[in-house]
Amino acid sequence: MRTLGSRLLAGVLVLALAVALVPSAGAQKRGGTLTIVRPTDPVSLDPNLETTAPGAWVYFNMLEGLLTLDDKMQVKPLLATSYEVMSPTRVRFKLRPGVKFHDGTPFNAAAVKFTFDRALHGTPPARWASLAGSLSGAEVVDDLTVDVLTKEPYGPILRTLAMYCMGIVSPTAVQKQGADFSRAPVGTGPFKFVEWKTNTHVIVERNNDYWGDKALLDRVVFRVVPEEGARMIALQTGDADMVLFPSPAQLPALRKDSKYTVHETTGIRVVFAGMHAGLPPLDDVHVRQAMLYAVDRKAILDNIMEGSAGPARGVLAPGVFGYKDMQLDRLYPFDRAKARALLGQAGWMPGPDGIMQKGGQRLSLSWLAARGRYPKDGEITEAIQAMLKDVGIEARVQVLEWAAVFQQVRSNPLSHHLFTLGWVTSNADADYSLYALFHSKQVPPTGWNTSRYANPRVDALVEQARRSLNQTEREKLYGEVQDILAKEMVWIPVYTTKEIVVTRASVKGFQVHPVEYNLALWKTWVEK
Amino acid sequence: MLTFVVRRLLLAVPVLLGVVFVVMLTIDLLPGDAVTLMLGEHATKDAVAALRAHLGLDKPFLVRYVDYVGRVARGDLGRSIQQNRPVAAELADAWPATLELTAAALLLAAAAGIGAGVLSAVRPNSAFDGVARVASLFGLSMPIFWTGLVLIVVFSLWLNWLPVGGAGSPAHLVLPAVTLALPSVAMIARMTRSAVLDVLREDYVRTARAKGVGEWWVLLKHALRNAFIPIITLLGLQSGQLMGGAVLTETVFAWPGLGRLMVKAIFARDYVLLQGAVLVFALAFVVVNLLVDLSYGVLDPRVARQG
Repeated sequence: MRTLGSRLLAGVLVLALAVALVPSAGAQKRGGTLTIVRPTDPVSLDPNLETTAPGAWVYFNMLEGLLTLDDKMQVKPLLATSYEVMSPTRVRFKLRPGVKFHDGTPFNAAAVKFTFDRALHGTPPARWASLAGSLSGAEVVDDLTVDVLTKEPYGPILRTLAMYCMGIVSPTAVQKQGADFSRAPVGTGPFKFVEWKTNTHVIVERNNDYWGDKALLDRVVFRVVPEEGARMIALQTGDADMVLFPSPAQLPALRKDSKYTVHETTGIRVVFAGMHAGLPPLDDVHVRQAMLYAVDRKAILDNIMEGSAGPARGVLAPGVFGYKDMQLDRLYPFDRAKARALLGQAGWMPGPDGIMQKGGQRLSLSWLAARGRYPKDGEITEAIQAMLKDVGIEARVQVLEWAAVFQQVRSNPLSHHLFTLGWVTSNADADYSLYALFHSKQVPPTGWNTSRYANPRVDALVEQARRSLNQTEREKLYGEVQDILAKEMVWIPVYTTKEIVVTRASVKGFQVHPVEYNLALWKTWVEK
Repeated sequence: MLTFVVRRLLLAVPVLLGVVFVVMLTIDLLPGDAVTLMLGEHATKDAVAALRAHLGLDKPFLVRYVDYVGRVARGDLGRSIQQNRPVAAELADAWPATLELTAAALLLAAAAGIGAGVLSAVRPNSAFDGVARVASLFGLSMPIFWTGLVLIVVFSLWLNWLPVGGAGSPAHLVLPAVTLALPSVAMIARMTRSAVLDVLREDYVRTARAKGVGEWWVLLKHALRNAFIPIITLLGLQSGQLMGGAVLTETVFAWPGLGRLMVKAIFARDYVLLQGAVLVFALAFVVVNLLVDLSYGVLDPRVARQG
C-alpha cells in the first residue's frame, strides 16, 4: 500500500513537473533578430577551408552532418536515421528522406559521397581532413543509403562523423558557385545564408523549408567587434544580444545582474604545463611527480581563473568519450614537503641559493610559453614558476608570440623542459588525445607527443582501442591508459576550459554546448 | 608640371619594390609559418607539405619575390593564403572604409588644428593659448585605444548618442574619426601656432600693417598663406600617421578597413594579403606626398617656376 502510495505520489510529481514545463515551452515565440558580437571574422564559411571557431559558429547553423553531438555529448542522428556496422572498415547509414538543400537540390547518398570526395581527395585536401583520422570516403548503395569507409578499422568513426565540420554540402551549389561557395555555403540546416560583409557581419535567416523543427529566430547577425571592452559595452547598450568570448573579469558582476544571463558549461579543452620526459632531469619520474605536488592547482583556479575555468581532473575533459577521472587531487595533493622528499629520493639536495642541486648541477628548467593563446596562460605559467621555486626548482620562462611557440613545439628535437599548451579533443573521442599525445610514434612533427612519452603498454592499448569498434571495450582500454598516465605524469594539468556565453536576459532557449564550435541557435528566441 | 608628376610617379616604383622586399623578408624571418598556423594543431606532416607546395611556399625567398613582383606588374595581386580569395577583392572591400576614416580624421584635424593654432598665435600667452597648449599635450600623449574606449564609454554607454562600433552611417564615423584625429589636431595646432607667429614677425607683415591693412586681412592674406607651407608638409606626414593610427582605431571601433585586414594577415602570416595591403598603404603615402609637393607650387609661385 505504501509503495503504491509513493508510486502514485511520484506519478503526480512527474505530472506536476510536466504541467510546469508546458507554459515555458508554449511561451517560445517565433521571430526576432539575434545580434551576436564576437572577436573575429570567419576565414571562410566552408568547412573545407575553415575549422576554427569564427567560421564554425556560423556554418554550424547552416550545414548538417550525418550525425551530431547533443549537449550531453551523446551521438545523435541528424541527416542519417540509423547505422549498421557492416565490417570493421565499413559503416552503412540510412539517410533521412525528403530533405532538401537550401537551393532546392535533394539531399541523398550522392551528396554525401560528393562532400567526402571533395574534402578528402581535392587539392589541397580540406582543412578537416587531418581531423578525420582514417576516414577515406563514401560509397552510394542506393539513393538513401550510403556506406562510409575507413582505411583501417577505426573506433572513433561515429564521433568523427558527428563533428561540427562534417556538414554535407549541396553538390549543385558547389559546382555552380566555384570558389565563391566558401563565402556563401549551401547546406540543409535550420538557417540559410543571406550576406557576408567582410570584417563587419555575417547574416543568416530561418530556413522555412527545414525538414525538422523550424528555427524560432527570423535572423541572426554575427557582428565583428575585436576589442573586448567594446564587445561588453555593446551588450550593455543593447547593440548586441549575445557576446562570445566575454571578458572574464566582468563575469562575477554579470552573474549577479538580472539584465543578463551567463550561460556556461564545462568545455573539452585541457590547459596544461607539459613536461619533456625525454630531457634530463625530467626523465626521472620522481622529479615529475614532485612538480605535481609542488603546484597548488586549486589556488590557481580560485585566484587566477576566478571561476572562468573548471579543475583539470586528468589529461581529458569530462565530456570526452573514454574519459576517466585520474583522481589527481587524491594522488597529488598540494604538499611541498612531499615534493622536496621526492626530489631528495632522486638525489637532489638544496644548494646555497635555495635551488636544488645534484652533482654540482642546479635544478633549472627552461620553459616555453605564449601569452594570450589560452585564457590566462601567461599568468598560470608565472604562478607555477613561483610555486616551483618554493620547492627549489628554478624555471626560466621564455614568453614568445603564439606563432613562434607553435613552431618550436612542432619541431624535433625540442630543447625546452616545459611548455604551456592547451589541447582540445576535437572529435570528443579519447583516441584523438591519447593516441596523438602519448603514443611513442607520435613525436612531432608526426603527432603531438611533445612530452616524448614512451611506454610500450600505452602504445599497445591506444592502438587496440583505435582498431576496435566495440565502444564498451574501448572505454575500458582508455581507462587503463589513464591509470598508467596518472602514475607517470608527464603533464601538470591546470584547468579545463569553460564555454561561456553571455546574453541579455531577453534571449531565451539558448543552451551553451561543451564544444565551443557547436553554437546551436535554432531553439533560441528573443523576448520582446 | 606633367613631367614633374610623371617623374615622381616613376620614382615611386623603386620605393614600392623596396617596400615589398622588406615586408616579404620580414615575414620570412619571423618565426611561425602560415601553413602550420592555418592547418592548426591537428595537421598531419603530409598535409602541411602538400599545402606548402600548393601555395608555392616551398620555393626559395628570392624566387618568390621575383614571382610576386612579376605578377603584380601584370596586375595580379595573387590570392590570400587564408581565404583563397583574390587579394584585389579583399583590398577593394576594405580600402574605402579606411579612406573614409582617414579623410574624415584629416579634415577634422586640419580644421581644428589650424583654427586653434591661429587663435593661439594671434593672442600668444593668452588664456586660450594656455588651454590649447595643455590640451594639445594631452592629445599627443593619450594612446589611441584608450581615448577610443573613453569616448565609447561616455558617448555610447552613458549618453547613448552614438553607436559603439561598426560602420554604415555618418553617426558611426564620428567617434573613430575624432579618436584618430586627436593626436594630429595637437600636432597641427602647435605647428600652426609657431609658423604663424614666425610670419607675423616678418617685415612684410609690419609693412602691411603700416599700410593700414586690416588685422584679419593681414592674417589671412599675408601670414597664413606663407605659414601654410610647413603646415601642408605636416598634413602630408600626418596622413601617413593617420593611416598607421587607423590600425588601432579600426580595432577599437570594429571599423572594417585595411588596418584590421593587415592585423589579421600578420597574425595568420598571410604574406600575400599583407603585401597587398602594404602596397596600398605605400602607394597612398606616395600619392599624398606628391599632392603636397604640387600644392607648394600653388601656394608659392616661386616653387612652381623652379619645378
